[in-house]
Amino acid sequence: MKPLKIGITGIRGVVGETFTPELIVGFAQAFGTYLNGGPILVCRDTRPSGPMVHAAVCAGLLAAGCEAVDLGICPTPSMQLAVSHLGAEGGIAITAGHNPAPWNALKFVRNDGLYLNSSQGEELLDIYHQGEFDKVTWDKIKSTLESEDAIEHHIDVLSRAFDLDVIRSRHLRVAVDCCNGACTRLIPRWLAAAGCEVLAVNDDPSLPFPHSPEPKPETMAQLRAVVKAGRADIGFSLDADGERLGIVTDHEEPLSEELTLALAAEIRLPVRRGTIVTNISTTSAIDRIAARHGGAVVRTPVGQAYISEFMIEHEAVLGGEGSGGIAVPEVHYTHDAAAGIGLILERLAKTGETISQLRACLPTLTMIKHNLKVDPNRIYSLLHNFRTRIDREQLEADLTDGIKVTFPDGWIHARVSNTESMIRLIVEAEDPARAQNLLDWTRDRIRN
Amino acid sequence: MRAIPTLKISISGVRGVIGDSLSPILLTRFAQAFGTFVGSGSIVIGRDPRTSGEMVKQAVIAGLLSSGCKVIDVGMCPVPTVQLIVRQRGAQGGLAITASHNPAEWNALKFIGPDGLFLSSGSAREMLDIYHQGEYTKVAGAEMRTVEIATGAIDLHIRTILDAVGTLPSTPKPLRVVLDACNGAGSIVGPKLITALGAEVISINDQPNGQFPRPAEPLPENLGDLCAAVKKHGADVGFAQDMDADRLAVVSNEGEAIGEDYTLVLAVSYVLGKERGPVVANLSTSNALDFVVNRFGCPLYRSKIGEANVTDLMKREAAVIGGEGNGGVIYPRINFARDSLVGMALILHFIAEQGRSLSQILSSFPRLYIIKEKLLCPSNKIAGILKLLRKTYGDSEMDLTDGIKVLLPEGWFHVRGSNTEPFIRVSVEGESRERARQISDSILGLIRTHLALPAS
Repeated sequence: MKPLKIGITGIRGVVGETFTPELIVGFAQAFGTYLNGGPILVCRDTRPSGPMVHAAVCAGLLAAGCEAVDLGICPTPSMQLAVSHLGAEGGIAITAGHNPAPWNALKFVRNDGLYLNSSQGEELLDIYHQGEFDKVTWDKIKSTLESEDAIEHHIDVLSRAFDLDVIRSRHLRVAVDCCNGACTRLIPRWLAAAGCEVLAVNDDPSLPFPHSPEPKPETMAQLRAVVKAGRADIGFSLDADGERLGIVTDHEEPLSEELTLALAAEIRLPVRRGTIVTNISTTSAIDRIAARHGGAVVRTPVGQAYISEFMIEHEAVLGGEGSGGIAVPEVHYTHDAAAGIGLILERLAKTGETISQLRACLPTLTMIKHNLKVDPNRIYSLLHNFRTRIDREQLEADLTDGIKVTFPDGWIHARVSNTESMIRLIVEAEDPARAQNLLDWTRDRIRN
Repeated sequence: MRAIPTLKISISGVRGVIGDSLSPILLTRFAQAFGTFVGSGSIVIGRDPRTSGEMVKQAVIAGLLSSGCKVIDVGMCPVPTVQLIVRQRGAQGGLAITASHNPAEWNALKFIGPDGLFLSSGSAREMLDIYHQGEYTKVAGAEMRTVEIATGAIDLHIRTILDAVGTLPSTPKPLRVVLDACNGAGSIVGPKLITALGAEVISINDQPNGQFPRPAEPLPENLGDLCAAVKKHGADVGFAQDMDADRLAVVSNEGEAIGEDYTLVLAVSYVLGKERGPVVANLSTSNALDFVVNRFGCPLYRSKIGEANVTDLMKREAAVIGGEGNGGVIYPRINFARDSLVGMALILHFIAEQGRSLSQILSSFPRLYIIKEKLLCPSNKIAGILKLLRKTYGDSEMDLTDGIKVLLPEGWFHVRGSNTEPFIRVSVEGESRERARQISDSILGLIRTHLALPAS
C-alpha cells in the first residue's frame, strides 16, 4: 500500500514518495479556493521536509489569492488560537503529528480555529478533485507575511485559563521531552511562565526526532531517567506538534496515553461538574470517573473534529481522546498538550498532592490494542460478517464508528485503520485475563 | 477566434501570465525538472519586484528542495546579480524569476548554468525533456537540504564592478546622472553604484513595488519622463533600465532618447579604446556598431537573438565585449551576462574620459534609424510569414540564421518569431528616417496581409 492518505482530516504521506510538491500545491490552492481568499496562517513542526512543504503551501495559497501568514515552527494549537485572534480565514498546519519523521501532512483549520468537520472536509476534497482552483491576476495577488508571535498569545490565553499564582507558588520541578518538535518553542516557555523549574530534554528544534514522536510508555525511557535524576515532581512527553501529552509520575512510572484524559477528568470534574466528550475507543475509566463525580460522558467517532463539535454542542467541561489529546474549553475546543499541562499543574499546586497519589485514584483496567492484518479486498466483508454474527448472538452493537460491543465487565471495538490494510481491535476489561479472553472472542468471530 | 495562449515554454525558459497559464503546479514542476537536471546541487535564486514574485519564488523553492537542492536565496535583485553569485558561490545553477520587459501580468523562470550563463540551447532542451518526462528526483525528508538567505549580493556586485573599472576619472564637475529604474530590480542597486563611481544621481521610478510606472522596455517612446528629468536637472546623461536590470537605454544631455542600439555602441567604443579584440552582437543590432568596431580594426561577429546565443559565440571567438542592440551589454571581464550596471559604469567612464558632452560624442558616430515593431501572431503562422519573405526578397542578400535578415540598399530588415511572447518581431534599419519607414511599411504590409489583419 502506497504511503499516502487523502482524507477528510487532511492529507498525509511520505516525502520523497507520494507527498510531492505538486500534490501539496494543489491542496493549498483547493483550500484557498474553499476559503475564498483572506489571510491564512501557516505553521509547521520541525521535520526536515517542513521548509519544502511550507514553500509549496505558500505558493498554492498565494496563487489562489490568499495572504500566507508564516508562523514558522509553531505548535498546531498555538496556530489554531491565533487564527481567531488575528482574524484569519483559516490555517494550515504542516505536521504529521505523532507519525514518524519521513511522513508529513497538511491539516486544515477553519476561521474559528477548529479542524474542518467531515462535510467540510468532503467539500475541500471535491474542489481538489475537480481541479478548478481560484487563480488571481497580478494586480490581486498577495505576498507572504511574517507574523507576530502566535506562541506569546497562546501563553497569554493559558495564563488566564489557569490559576497561575497558585502554580507559581509551588515552584514545581518539571521534566519535559519535546522530542525536538514544535513544542520546543512553547512548552519550556509555558512552564517557566508558570514558575516551574524546567528540566528539558530533546528541546533543540534543529535536531531530528530522538524517538518516535508518539507519547507512549515505549518512548518515555529518557524522560523517566530525567525525572529520576532530577527528582522531578512530574515528567511530560509531547508529540511533534503539541496535541498529545504523555505523563511520567514522580515515581518514574510512565502512564499509558489512555490515562492522560482519565487524569484530566479526575482533576476537572470536582471543580466543574459537567459533560466529558471522548471517542468510543477511549478507556471506560472515563465513565467510572464521571460516575464517581456526577458527570456525564458523550462518545463520538474517532477524530478530533468530532470531539470539538460535540464539546460545543454539549457545552462540555472537557474533551479528549485515548491518544493523549486533551481539550480544555477555557483555552480552546481543540487538543492542546499545553492546556493539559496547565490543568495538571494547577491541581498539584492547589492540593499539594503528588502525581502518583492522583494516579492511584484512577480505575485500573486492562486495555489491549491489536492490529489484525487482513487482505485489503476482504476488509469490509470481514467486518460485515462480524456484525452478522453479533446480531445472531443477540448482542447489541454500537455502530458510531466501526463496531463496538459492550459487556458487563468490558468492551471490544473493531474498526478499519485509516492508514493501513488492517482492522484495529481494542478491548478493555477489569483484568488481563478477561481482556485476552475478549480479544480472542473477537478474533474468532472476525476470522471465521 | 481562440485567444492566443499566454504560456511560452522554450529554451529561453518558461513564461506565462499570472492567474492564467503560469500556475504554481507548473512552476514547481519546472523547478523539480531543473533540480533533477543539475543533479541536486546548490541553486541561487533571485527575483524582480513583480507582485507575483513571492508566489513564484515559493513554488520554485518547493520544487528545488524536493529534488534535493540547497537553495541560496538572494532576494530581490537584478538578473545579472544572480548570474554573478552563481559563479562567485560555485553553485550548480541559478534560477532568475523575472519576465524582464514583459508587462506586469507576466512572470517567468530563466535557467542559469554553473558558469553563470543562461542554459545553452542543448542544455535547455535536455532540461525540457526532463520536464516533459515528468520523472523528477525526489529526496526523502532526512536528505532534504535548506534555504539560505544570502544577504550582501548587491554590494558584492557593486564591488566587483568597481574593482574592475575603478572610480571615474576626475571631471571639472562630477557627472550628474538621472536614473529611471522602472520601479524594477535596479531601483536599489543603480543609485548605489553610480554614487560609488563618484557621480551624482537623481532617481526616478525607484520604488520596487511591482507597479510599472511605464512600459518596461526602455524604448525611446517609453522614456518621456526620463528625457524631461535630464533636461530639468541639467544632467550629463540619463539611464533607463528594464524590470530585471539587464537592459540599459541612454538619454543624452540634451534630453534625447538616443535608441537602445547606441548603448552597446558607446560601451564598445570605451572598451575597444582600452583593449582591442573581437566583438559579438546579434543579427538585429545596428550597423553603427560595425562602424565603431571597424574604426578599431577589430572583427565583429553576428549571432542569433538571445543572450545564450550571444554568449556562446563570445566564448568561441574570445570576444572582449558583446551584447545586443536592445541595450544588453556583456563585458566578460566583470560579468558574463547582460548587465545594465556594467553598461552604466562603462558609459560613465567613457563620458568622463572624453571630456565632451554625450551629444558631442554621439555626433562622431553615424546616425542610423532603427524601427522595431511587433505584431501579435500565433506561433503557427510564423513559418508561413518567413517563407513569404524569403520568396519576396529572393534576389537580395539574406541571412537565415535566425528568422530572416535581408540586406537592402541603404538599410536592412530582420523578421523572426519572439522566443518569449506570442509576437512576430520586425527590426528595420535605414540610413535615413524615411528609408527606415519605407522598408518597415512594406514588410509590415506583407505580414498584415498574410495574417489578414487590417492595415494600420
